[in-house]
Amino acid sequence: MKYKSQGIARAYFTVALLLFVLQVIVGLYLAFNYFFTVPQGVVDAFPFSTARAFHTNLLVLWMLLGFMGGAYFIVPEETEREIYSTKLAYIQLILLVGTGVAALVGFLFGWTQGRPLLEIPTLLDLFVVVGALMFLFNIGMTMITARKWTVIQGTLLGGLVFLAVMYLFGIPFYKNTSIDWYYWWWVIHLWVEGAWELITSAIMAFVLLKLTGVERKVVEKWLYVEIGLFLFTGIAGTGHHYYWLAAPRYWLWIGGIFSALEPVPIVLMVLDTWNHVRHRKLEIKNHLTFVYVVGCAVLHLAGAGVLGIVHTLPQINYYTHGSQVTVSHGHLAFFGAYALLNLTIFYFAFPQLKGIVRYDEKLGRICFWTMSLSMLGITLAFGVAGVIQSYVERVMGLGYMTAQGHMKLWMAIAFAFGLVFLVGVIVMVYDLLFMKPARQEA
Amino acid sequence: MSNRTAFWIFILGTASSALLFIFLTVDMHRQVDALTNADKLTDDVVAGKKVWEKYNCNDCHTLLGFGGYYAPDMTKVYKRRGEDGIRFIVKEPEKAFAKSWRKMPKQNLSDAEINSLIAFLKWVSEINNGDWPPQDSDKRIANSALKLTAGAGVNLGMALLQDKGCLSCHNYKGVGDEDVPLEKAGEKYDAETLKKLIHNPQSVNKDASMPPQDGLSDAELETIVNFLKSKN
Ligand code: HEC
Ligand code: HEC
Ligand code: HEM
Ligand code: HEM
Ligand SMILES: [Fe+2]
Repeated sequence: MKYKSQGIARAYFTVALLLFVLQVIVGLYLAFNYFFTVPQGVVDAFPFSTARAFHTNLLVLWMLLGFMGGAYFIVPEETEREIYSTKLAYIQLILLVGTGVAALVGFLFGWTQGRPLLEIPTLLDLFVVVGALMFLFNIGMTMITARKWTVIQGTLLGGLVFLAVMYLFGIPFYKNTSIDWYYWWWVIHLWVEGAWELITSAIMAFVLLKLTGVERKVVEKWLYVEIGLFLFTGIAGTGHHYYWLAAPRYWLWIGGIFSALEPVPIVLMVLDTWNHVRHRKLEIKNHLTFVYVVGCAVLHLAGAGVLGIVHTLPQINYYTHGSQVTVSHGHLAFFGAYALLNLTIFYFAFPQLKGIVRYDEKLGRICFWTMSLSMLGITLAFGVAGVIQSYVERVMGLGYMTAQGHMKLWMAIAFAFGLVFLVGVIVMVYDLLFMKPARQEA
Repeated sequence: MSNRTAFWIFILGTASSALLFIFLTVDMHRQVDALTNADKLTDDVVAGKKVWEKYNCNDCHTLLGFGGYYAPDMTKVYKRRGEDGIRFIVKEPEKAFAKSWRKMPKQNLSDAEINSLIAFLKWVSEINNGDWPPQDSDKRIANSALKLTAGAGVNLGMALLQDKGCLSCHNYKGVGDEDVPLEKAGEKYDAETLKKLIHNPQSVNKDASMPPQDGLSDAELETIVNFLKSKN
């Protein structure tokens, strides 16, 4: 750690990790509901719907806190300057976590905006916006006063501003359901297939630069190409969600064609990550960080690219839309691209934040493989359930609950893999929070 | 490739896609009123949308395929269940799904809220969304029933009675295992009443113990009613 204010990141990361554990526990409850008859009394008190709002809001909250912590860690090194205001950064953390907790407690008592993934009530949205403004102000001022601009920094800031602006489209009440969903996707899709990809590209580029010592010019060149392709395919690619919501028919063409190209920049990211890692110029201190970087690139491609493209064409989407196929894709994409990205920066930063040069990697390796393999299992189980659902419910037309009956076994398998996943996550959190220096080699 | 070229790939890629997207968004706003029958989007419908959101129905049920996947899609539920069917389910889900292995919470909606909700679901069921979802498409009859008839020369109506589980409570000319026969139903009721009765028995006979029948498309219901009405 070169700059004192990078220490802010530690607080953000720690909170993020704890929320991650909570998210996964609630995920298990969701899967449980799919194969076990939860009695009416329990359903009345803590229904699937409330739990789902927990699961997804915790997900978004911990990931955003991770990104913000990541930004507080990266920006000082890029600008060669301390963060503008350390105090503001901590106030922002308290504000956002407080808002998050208020939102979760509110859900329990039915205080909700009632729109999936955007359940946070309007009043609390305002707090989120204030938190976001504090953050952008702090990061922006750091960059402005430093007067040093790099492409990585610009991409990071651009992604964060893009993210914040898109959030605003989710706040108003829309009378017309079709228009409501149209703009709902401006938040959801333009986040994960737009703004967040920019942030990912910037963080990956930063980590690769620091770890491999590859020339900055080369890293930045690929960074431009990647974000250019991400935005070219991703913006108009939003159309792959507009097939069945009563928007004009041409979205079937626009959405299909642009989104089918979305895997291209992801492939590019895998290739250039691999290239940089192979042609590294620096000595490896902690091999584990590479495991995370490469794992992130590869599972990003598998979850978002491969599982995305299989159901993105309208001819297929007509049958798979809104089924467990979507859930299967959602899990591997979020895990591969954004959970592993966060964990990459955590594993990169934590040793530095603690002043450890080389740490004991054994546990870290075990939990990387535990989490990744069990997430592949979860994805596979949801995927099989989704194919069964698409066929029985949609193609054969046998009714929703009939299809659910045939899917039970696979939902139970997803639950079982989920238990393994939870163990992996808990061990990983322990490993990061209580990291030990490696024993001196003989 | 130089860094300059890379920079221009970024600028042009982003700008072209963003311009196209904004242009099409403007066009969507021009067309959406016609596609969604905005003239029928009354205050009651809007109130119903608010009820839908207030109770967070959408995190269990999908609407237009978006939301939680834990319960049936609501886009065309108005056509499947009708007004009375929806009212019965939302008021007393613990009774409606007493025998089901998956429950829906009792959320104690007021009658006014339920009325608005029904208006909302009716409006949604009529928008022009490319005939999704496939299982509710009026054009289709369950494949499994079609298959039954293709091989064995079975009448399509009979196949549907079998396939839709009617024969687990009913008996038709010796087929089926319980004792409410259906042979006479065609004489007792006219076609419209039959439809209502099958969709939601309580709407015809308050004390009916037959559960509302979901999962029938319009075409399937039509076929069953024609079959019951015909003297074969
Ligand atoms: C905890 C999850 C949950 C919530 C919240 C929920 N439902 Fe349900 N709902 C279900 C389940 C599960 C079924 C199907 C049960 C079955 O068929 O066995 C169902 C079935 C229905 C049906 C019948 C659908 C059909 O075609 O068979 C309607 C109508 C319905 N719900 C309306 C609503 C409304 C309106 C709300 C909000 C006020 C709501 N539900 C909230 C779980 C939920
Ligand atoms: C769970 C058992 C059950 C199922 C499933 C069921 N019914 Fe019924 N149905 C009944 C009972 C019981 C009655 C007698 C009246 C009452 O108590 O509702 C009845 C009455 C009827 C009647 C009126 C008969 C008369 O002579 O008055 C018709 C028509 C009918 N059912 C059609 C159907 C069709 C079509 C289906 C399948 C889509 C179906 N039922 C599924 C239990 C069932
Ligand atoms: C890391 C990037 C990505 C993430 C995190 C992600 C995540 C998700 C999630 C969570 C959903 C479900 C949203 C909902 O309805 O609740 C979804 C839907 C979808 N995604 Fe992705 N996605 C990513 C990239 C992609 C890519 C690159 C493609 C296409 C090539 C794609 C194709 C789709 C499609 C077609 C749907 C709609 C599914 C349906 O009709 O129900 N996704 N995605
Ligand atoms: C123990 C592990 C987990 C289990 C068992 C689990 C289970 C579930 C279930 C059952 C749903 C509800 C889907 C529905 O509406 O039917 C869900 C939603 C979701 N989960 Fe998980 N989850 C787990 C971990 C995770 C992780 C680690 C992530 C992200 C990295 C994640 C991201 C999501 C997302 C994005 C959704 C919304 C899905 C959508 O709309 O398609 N989950 N999860
Ligand atoms: Fe998308």
